[in-house]
Amino acid sequence: MAITDLPEFVRADGPDKVTGSGRYTADMTLTGQLVAKFKYAGVPSARVTKLDVTAARAIPGVFAVLTQDDVPDVRYSYGIADRTLFVKDVVRFDGEVVAAVAAINDKIAQQALDAIVFEYDELPAVTDLEAAIADGSPLVHADLDAYEVTGDTPHYGNVGTHSSIEMGDVDAALASADHVISSRFLADASHATPIEPRSVIAQWEGERVTVWTSTQVPFDARAGVSETLEVPSNRVRIVAPHVGGGFGGKCGAHFEPHIAALAKAAKRPVKLVFSRWEEFVAPDRRRESMVIDVTTGVMNDGTIVARTGNILLDNGAYMADSSFFPQAAAMHVAGPYVIPNVKIDARLVYTNHQPSGSVRAPTAPQGCWAVESHTDEIAATIGMDALDFRRKNIVTTGSVGAVGQTYDEIGLDQCLEKAAASAGWGQELPEGEALGISVGWWPSFHAPAGAYAKMHGDGAVQIITGASECGTGSVMTLRMLAADELGIDETSIELIYQDTGAAPSGPGSSGSMTLFNHGRAVERASRQISDQLKELAATQLEANVDDIVLANGVASVAGTPSASVPIVELAGASEDGELLGSASTEALEWPEIVGSSCLGDQGFASWMAPQFSCHVARVRVDKDTGVTRVLEVHAAHDSGTIINPMAAHGQVEGGILMGIGQALTEGTQYDDSGRQRNAGLLEYKLQTIADAPKISTEFVEIYTPNAGPKGAKGLAEAPNVATCGAINNAIANAIGTRLNQLPMTAERVWNAIEGEVE
Amino acid sequence: MTLTIASSIDDIIAALAAGARPIAGGTDLVVGSRQGKGSLPDSLIAIDRVEALGVIDRGDAETRLGAGVTHARLMTEPTIVDHFTAIADAAALVGSPATRNVGTVGGNVMNGSPAMDTGSPLVVLGAQAELTNASGSRLVSLDELWVGPGTTSAAPDELCTALVIPNMGEGGGSAYVRLEYRRAMEIAIVGAAAAVTLDGDNVRSIRVALTAVAPTILEVTGLDDLVGKPLDDDALSAVAAAASEQASPISDLRASDRYRRHTIGVMARRAADAAARRASGEDISVPVNRALGVGATA
Ligand SMILES: Cc1cc2nc3c(=O)[nH]c(=O)nc-3n(C[C@H](O)[C@H](O)[C@H](O)COP(=O)(O)OP(=O)(O)OC[C@H]3O[C@@H](n4cnc5c(N)ncnc54)[C@H](O)[C@@H]3O)c2cc1C
Repeated sequence: MAITDLPEFVRADGPDKVTGSGRYTADMTLTGQLVAKFKYAGVPSARVTKLDVTAARAIPGVFAVLTQDDVPDVRYSYGIADRTLFVKDVVRFDGEVVAAVAAINDKIAQQALDAIVFEYDELPAVTDLEAAIADGSPLVHADLDAYEVTGDTPHYGNVGTHSSIEMGDVDAALASADHVISSRFLADASHATPIEPRSVIAQWEGERVTVWTSTQVPFDARAGVSETLEVPSNRVRIVAPHVGGGFGGKCGAHFEPHIAALAKAAKRPVKLVFSRWEEFVAPDRRRESMVIDVTTGVMNDGTIVARTGNILLDNGAYMADSSFFPQAAAMHVAGPYVIPNVKIDARLVYTNHQPSGSVRAPTAPQGCWAVESHTDEIAATIGMDALDFRRKNIVTTGSVGAVGQTYDEIGLDQCLEKAAASAGWGQELPEGEALGISVGWWPSFHAPAGAYAKMHGDGAVQIITGASECGTGSVMTLRMLAADELGIDETSIELIYQDTGAAPSGPGSSGSMTLFNHGRAVERASRQISDQLKELAATQLEANVDDIVLANGVASVAGTPSASVPIVELAGASEDGELLGSASTEALEWPEIVGSSCLGDQGFASWMAPQFSCHVARVRVDKDTGVTRVLEVHAAHDSGTIINPMAAHGQVEGGILMGIGQALTEGTQYDDSGRQRNAGLLEYKLQTIADAPKISTEFVEIYTPNAGPKGAKGLAEAPNVATCGAINNAIANAIGTRLNQLPMTAERVWNAIEGEVE
Repeated sequence: MTLTIASSIDDIIAALAAGARPIAGGTDLVVGSRQGKGSLPDSLIAIDRVEALGVIDRGDAETRLGAGVTHARLMTEPTIVDHFTAIADAAALVGSPATRNVGTVGGNVMNGSPAMDTGSPLVVLGAQAELTNASGSRLVSLDELWVGPGTTSAAPDELCTALVIPNMGEGGGSAYVRLEYRRAMEIAIVGAAAAVTLDGDNVRSIRVALTAVAPTILEVTGLDDLVGKPLDDDALSAVAAAASEQASPISDLRASDRYRRHTIGVMARRAADAAARRASGEDISVPVNRALGVGATA
């Protein structure tokens, strides 16, 4: 569908954002506000021998200097509570915060940082994943066993979580296979790189604190402040002004607690604004590097009989929210294929790198890239076309996937056909150009979420939601759902969002969960109002309530359109002065899995409302230089019902562009001690809009029960999954040899052409 | 810190004599200081509103290119596009539209980076820099001007008023190509410019210069053997080999020395080829990178 054919949908936050009148956290100023700056460790692995802030505190204009001694002694992180707000005795990555300063201006804050005495003995740094799990490796957390652990989180040595999937008998199946193909892949770490570096402002009034912050997840930020500073959650209010992108990088609580603690100590509002360098090195959300070994047994006719996998993921220094990563990665290495015998082990390995955390579809782009490259290798080995091989092996409606989940109606087969047809699979292309194909998948997640709906006496509606808008457009789509329930125009609905003081809680903008969960809550809350409207209309029109229809701003009797009353009038007629609705999501059922066992189960074995995709990339490789340009990407997605087509297209296009960056130019480079070498936008190369290829997107719309509103699945992360794999397969088809390292930089492509392997 | 806005060249010369530093587009100076390359000078004289620095004046023998001409103009002015095409090729690749709208050729040249894109085109076209101070103007060849990465031989009180470029005779063409990993906001990993004049099918003259493979822009020597013969595949291979051999690239985050040494040869070959094709009348639009898909970037 051409973009001009789409129904017009104007985002309520759009004019603000495109005209520059929108206000982001960094744009705010509070009276008496101080500047916050952090002292970073600057060393990846060390034992602190001296930390003295006396001189810094004595500088005129410095209002507070905090270290771990000045905040409650709380360890936190999901899965394994392994970190403190500030460095406590041991430094585990170079961007770790040692101390925080609040001062009257930038210059004095910097003087205070310079006056902090911070001495340490350097410790050996753990930077290599394979060395880290070998006997005798130094331990990143010598006290791992002493930490509080939640969930099924098997851990030992430098391994934070060990997850495995096991089904059938792989040894026997591999022994009986006609061909056994093994591949090894290395993916470099990368970054979420939101264009807005994060900013936080905190202000206390008595025992209550308000924090304005560029977060994707206000309720997680609230929980973080509450937990680490030991303040009851009802005294913490998190407000997110417009958020300038997140991509997962702004999930979790980050520096809200530090700034709240500073503001309390300074007795003044305190504001933090990150530089781009800080945005690269300090947050505990980075896309993990991975080492992936995968072996597949296949029959001559193309039937996959078994797969084994061994995956190492770089956790960095702390858990953040990564405890589920090994299981997610294992699912991607299994892939959306029917494979009766599977054994995949995945380990999340502590190192002295910046912590890894959720970045758009965590583990999926790397895992999918590896397994889809491997899939093409298998097809080539048995002499089968890459598309035909996938046709034969992918999961379809009713088939049993690699962990024993039976799929209800799904559309991966249709995605495959649509993307391949759109790209002209099989056509002759000019020298240096080729197509590559990849399929991908990603779950949807149920999470409790609430919503309030209000229809005022004048008929104006407010929806108060815990949802967050980090750019995906999905919060904007909530208005469409409410409008549909209430029979009114969506432009007469105002959203109140990103304020924990106003809204019931929810997952915010993470895990493709906004529409999926907050949407269901908004629908239910709105329905409570529409029920009341119908009652009022039934009384006024002397009709049966079941016959009342709300549409186009009017309540009317079905079959008798002349019997009608404007909804505005009904709202004014309510005895309560306004109509109120309040609802939470209903729990959904997790699909059953049969016949497999999962060690370290973090809720990623059975996939609710799984989303599927197929991307076909057309690339041109300059064989003299290795520079690769993606000319076209043909995408087809099964994300269930598409409620807001324009936003959905935007998600797919953005996800693909992000995927191209990860495929070709975005990779973090480290020095031997574990410091980032390219922590800036000059050397960490994002794609620009000038690099965007032609993208064509088709949706396979299948109404999906046990899913989001109106049969929708998630969509924000899925488009980021399959692109890297499609590009690698296209490059391989263009140059006749396959890369096994991500990103596939020009120099790496050239090395591959020259037959040099790194 | 003071910032004075100059309205004439005399204003600038006086300010420089009093110790001010010129600022044109500020895209090197300001961005560099923000990145910690040294704080901004105490006294700045803004030269971007001085019209006399914005002239492009084609005379009988040479063309004066005002130091204040922006990249956006260089890539579109017919004088440059038609006669000094390599400069237009280079200007069209600089940064983004915003960078090109304020960044100037004078700033590019005087910043002295070995990765400056207009550098190698100016060298192969035989440009000289006109430096002016209170005691008058002098012309300096570019290899005398650039003495090392980020350093020039100009005195602090000297303003670059223009680049003076001899007009190419009939049968001349020039081109600049660079290796880039993305299509905007890129810094030359390596780049090469060539200027070729032809006598029928045979080379009358050829100059090739290299970007970002040595402490300063490097002119390739020893190409005299190519004169009097067609610039065929063997000749282009000789250009590539000479470029790779004479380069002294470094390894850094953007590329290894080995990769740079190889790709500088590829760029030199493509620049020479495009220059010769233009010399023979072929219309290759600006920039060559997009027209010919250099680095697959078309
Ligand atoms: C985002 C971005 C992308 C960029 N991309 C490229 C690129 O692709 N290729 C490239 O080559 N460069 C690039 N640059 C660098 C820069 O834009 C160019 O070098 C530009 O031509 C500098 O011109 P300016 O007028 O902005 O110089 P300024 O920053 O104003 O000045 C640079 C230096 O020259 C001095 N100076 C300026 N004018 C004169 C004069 N007339 N006489 C004497 N001294 C003078 C100044 O004192 C200063 O030391 C990029 C910069 C940015 C910020």
